[in-house]
Amino acid sequence: MIQVLISGLFLGGIYALLAVGLSLAFGIMGVLNLAHGSLAVLAAILYKKSLVFYSFSPWTFCILATPLFLGIGFLLHFFIAAPFRNLSPPTATVASLMASLGVALILEDLFVRWQGWEPISTYIAFPTVHLPGLQIPGMRAALLGMAAVTISLCILFMKKTDSGRSMRALAQDKETASLCGINPAITAIGAMGLATILAGFAGVFYSVLYPLSPREGIDLTLKALFIVVAGGMGNLRGPAVAGCLLGFIESFSGFLFTYTSTDIIVYSLLVSYLAFKRGRRPQ
Amino acid sequence: MKPWKTSLAFVILIALTVSAAAFSKGYAGIFTFSLIINAIMAISYDIPARSLDFISLGHAVFFGLGAYFFGIAVSNGFSFFQAFTLSVLLSAAVSGMVVLLTAGLSHGYYSLATLGLLIIFQRLFETLEGVSGGSAGIYIPEPISNFQCALLAAFLLLATAACHVVFSCSRWGFFSMETKADEQAAEAIGIPTRRLKILCLMTGAIPACVAGILYLARTSHVSPISGFSLTLSITALLGSRIVPINGVLGPVLGILVITAAEEIIWTKFQSFNLAWFGLILLVAALYQGVNFRNLKKGTN
Repeated sequence: MIQVLISGLFLGGIYALLAVGLSLAFGIMGVLNLAHGSLAVLAAILYKKSLVFYSFSPWTFCILATPLFLGIGFLLHFFIAAPFRNLSPPTATVASLMASLGVALILEDLFVRWQGWEPISTYIAFPTVHLPGLQIPGMRAALLGMAAVTISLCILFMKKTDSGRSMRALAQDKETASLCGINPAITAIGAMGLATILAGFAGVFYSVLYPLSPREGIDLTLKALFIVVAGGMGNLRGPAVAGCLLGFIESFSGFLFTYTSTDIIVYSLLVSYLAFKRGRRPQ
Repeated sequence: MKPWKTSLAFVILIALTVSAAAFSKGYAGIFTFSLIINAIMAISYDIPARSLDFISLGHAVFFGLGAYFFGIAVSNGFSFFQAFTLSVLLSAAVSGMVVLLTAGLSHGYYSLATLGLLIIFQRLFETLEGVSGGSAGIYIPEPISNFQCALLAAFLLLATAACHVVFSCSRWGFFSMETKADEQAAEAIGIPTRRLKILCLMTGAIPACVAGILYLARTSHVSPISGFSLTLSITALLGSRIVPINGVLGPVLGILVITAAEEIIWTKFQSFNLAWFGLILLVAALYQGVNFRNLKKGTN
C-alpha cells in the first residue's frame, strides 16, 4: 500500500508541474489552453529524438531545450491568446478554447506522422533505493525532486522578480497594471513562454516514467485542467497540491481496479467536483 | 431573424429531404445521410450555443447514448419501434441527468465538463463489455431499409429546425437573450434562469439522441469511439459557429460547408484529417476574434 502511495506521489508531482503551467496561462491571460498537454508530448518526442544523437539526462535536456520551449510558447501566444485579448472574458475564454483545441488536433496528427503510433518512452536505468519493506526507484525520486524544484523556482520567480510581479499584477487587474506601466502584451507573451517551459519539463519527465502515446495530449490537458480547477485557477500552490492528490487517486484506483475504470473514476470525481463546487462560482 | 433567412434555411432543408428520398443507396445515399445527421447535430447544438453561449465539447454524448441504447435494445430482441421508443426514453432520461449536472456551470467550466463527460461515457462503454460489446462496439442486423431510415432522418431534421425556430421566437428565446446578456439582471427581473437553461439544453439534447438511433439503424455498427466521438462534437460546434448568421440558417449553411470540407479531407488527406479539422477550428476561432473586435469598433 505504501508502494502505491509513493507511486501516486511520483505521478502527482508530474501532473502538478503540468497543471502549474496551465494555471499560469489561465490566471494571467484567461486562456484555457487545450494544447498544453500536446506541448508536453512534443517535448517528450524531442527528448526521444535527441537521445539518438546524445545520451542527455532528462534534466540536462530540459535546461538545454528551455529556449526552444520559450520560443514555442511565444509562437503559440500569437494563435491562442493575442487575437482574443480585447474580447470580453467569457467570449475570450471560449474563443481561446476553440483555437487551442485546433492547435492540439493539428499537433496530434503531426506527432503521429512524425513519430508513428509507437508510444514515446525514454526510460533510463537508475539505481533503486531499498528500504525495509519498501523500494524507491531512484529515477522517479530524482524526477519528483526536479519537479518540486521547478515548481518552487516558478513560485519564487512570480514572487521575487519584477517580471513575476508584473504577471501577478496583470492577473489581478489588467487596466490598473497597464496604468502602472506594465505592458500587457509582452507580459502575456512571457507568461505563455513560462507555461510552455513547464509543459515541456512535465512531458520529458512523464516520458521517462511512463510510455506516452502521441495522441495523449488532450487527455493530459484535461487532467491538468481539472487539477487547475480543483486547485484554484490562477494560483500556483493549489494546483501543485491537487496534482499530487490526483496522482494518489489514479494510483490507488489503478491498484484496486482496471486501467479504464481508473479513467472513469478520475474523470467522474473531477466532473463532480467541477459541477458541485468550482463551476458554480463566477469566473 | 429576418423571415427570408428562415425561408431560405427551410428551402435548403426541404431540398435535403428530397435528396434523402431520391438517393438512399450508393455513395450519394451515404453522403446525403451523413449530411442530414451532421445538420441535425449542428442545429441541435446551435440551440443552447447561440441562445446562451454554452459551448459544448461533448455534444456527441447524447448521440452516443441514443445509439447505444438502441443497439442494446435491438440486440435483446426488441422490434424497431419498441427499441426506438425505449431508447428515446432512456437516452432522454440519462441526457436529463447530464443536463441537470451541467446546467449550472459557467461558460468555460461547461465546456470542460462536457469534454470530461464525453471521455467518461467513452470509457464506460468500453468497460461494460457484456452489455456494450467493449471497444469493438455493437453490431445489429439492419432493422429498417435505408430508404425508410433516410426519410426518418430527414423528418427529424425538419423537426429539429422547427424546434430551433419555435424556441427562438418563443418567450423562452427572448428570456435566453436576456440571460446571455446579463444573467444576474435576468434573475432580478424574474426570469427562471435555471429552468431556462435546462429547457434549452434538453431541446438540444433530444434530437441528438434520436440522430444517434438513426445513425445506428443505417450503419448497423457503433463503437465507443464512433458514438462518443470528439470529431462529431467538433463538427457540430464548427457547423454552428462557422457562419456568423443568427437563426437556423447559420448552422444549415455551416454544416453544408463543413460536411463538404470533411468529405474532401477524408478522401484527399486521409492521414491528416484531424489536422485539417484543427486548422478549420483554429481559423474559425481567429475569425470569431476578428469579427468580435470589428463589432466592438462598430465597423461590422
